[in-house]
Amino acid sequence: MSEEELIAEAQSMTRWQQHKFMVLVGATILTALFLVGISLRLYTTSGAMQLDLSRPGYQSIRDQASSSSDFTGFSSTGEIDKKALDEFRSLYDEQLKEATAVESFGGDVMSDAALGIGQ
Amino acid sequence: MKLLITTLALFGVLATAILASQTVYAQGALSEAHVERIRQNCVSAQTTLLRIHTNDTLLRVNRGQLYELISTKLMAPLNSRIALGRFEGLQLAATTIDYDRQREIFTADYLQYDDAMTRAIKINCTERPSEFYETLQLARERRYKLHEDTKALTVLLESYKGEFESFAGKFDGGSQ
Repeated sequence: MSEEELIAEAQSMTRWQQHKFMVLVGATILTALFLVGISLRLYTTSGAMQLDLSRPGYQSIRDQASSSSDFTGFSSTGEIDKKALDEFRSLYDEQLKEATAVESFGGDVMSDAALGIGQ
Repeated sequence: MKLLITTLALFGVLATAILASQTVYAQGALSEAHVERIRQNCVSAQTTLLRIHTNDTLLRVNRGQLYELISTKLMAPLNSRIALGRFEGLQLAATTIDYDRQREIFTADYLQYDDAMTRAIKINCTERPSEFYETLQLARERRYKLHEDTKALTVLLESYKGEFESFAGKFDGGSQ
C-alpha cells in the first residue's frame, strides 16, 4: 500500500476511528485512577491505615511489632483427654500471661502536667 | 405589625441569651491564663502526643494480634474439639462470643481514638489553643475507653480460663 493510499484511507475514516486508540488509553487511565481512589478510600476507612507500620514515622518501632506466625496454636481436631487439656492449659496460660502482664493505654501520660500545659 | 415587633424582640432576647451563655461557658471552661499557657507550650505537647501516638499504634498492633491469636488459635479450636467430642462446652462458647464482640469494640474504639489523636496533633494549636485542648480532652476520653476495653478483655480471658478449669476438672473426675 502506497503512502497516498494510506493518507486517503485515513481521510476517509470517521472521527471515532481516528481517535479510538487515544480514547482507549484515556479510558484505561481513568479506570485505573478510579480503582486507586476506591483502594485508598478502603485503606483509610477500614482501619488498615491506622495499623500500617510501614508509614513514614513508624520506622523506629516497626521491628518491635510481634509476629504470631510461628505460634501454631491448639489443634482443632483430636480427642479431648488429659494430655490435650494439659497442652491447652500450657498454651493458654502463656498467652494469658502476656495479655495481662502490662496495663495497656493506662497511666497519666496525657495529663496537663505531663504535657506541660497545666494551669 | 405589633406582633412582628414582639416576635423579633423575643428572638433578639433569645439570641443574646444563647450567645451570653456560650461566652460564659467558654470562659468557665478555660481561663485566659490557661489558654495562654496552652498556646505557649502546645507545640512541645504535640511532639509528646506524637510520640505517645506512635507507641500506641505499636501497642494496638501487638495487642490486636495477641487478642486475635487467642481467639482463633486457642479458644475456637478448643470449642470445636469439645463440640466434636460431644461434651458440654456451652459456657466456653458463650464466653468466646463475648470475647470476640469485645475485640470488635476495642477495634472500633481504637479508630475513634486514633482520629481524635491525629486531629490533636495536626491542629494549629498556637492559633486555636481552645480547640486543641477540646480535641485533647476527647483523645484522653477515648484513650481511657481503650483502657477499659482492654480490662474487659482481660476479665473475659480470665473468665474463659476459669470455665476451662471447671471443664477440665469435671473431665478429670470422669463426670462427662
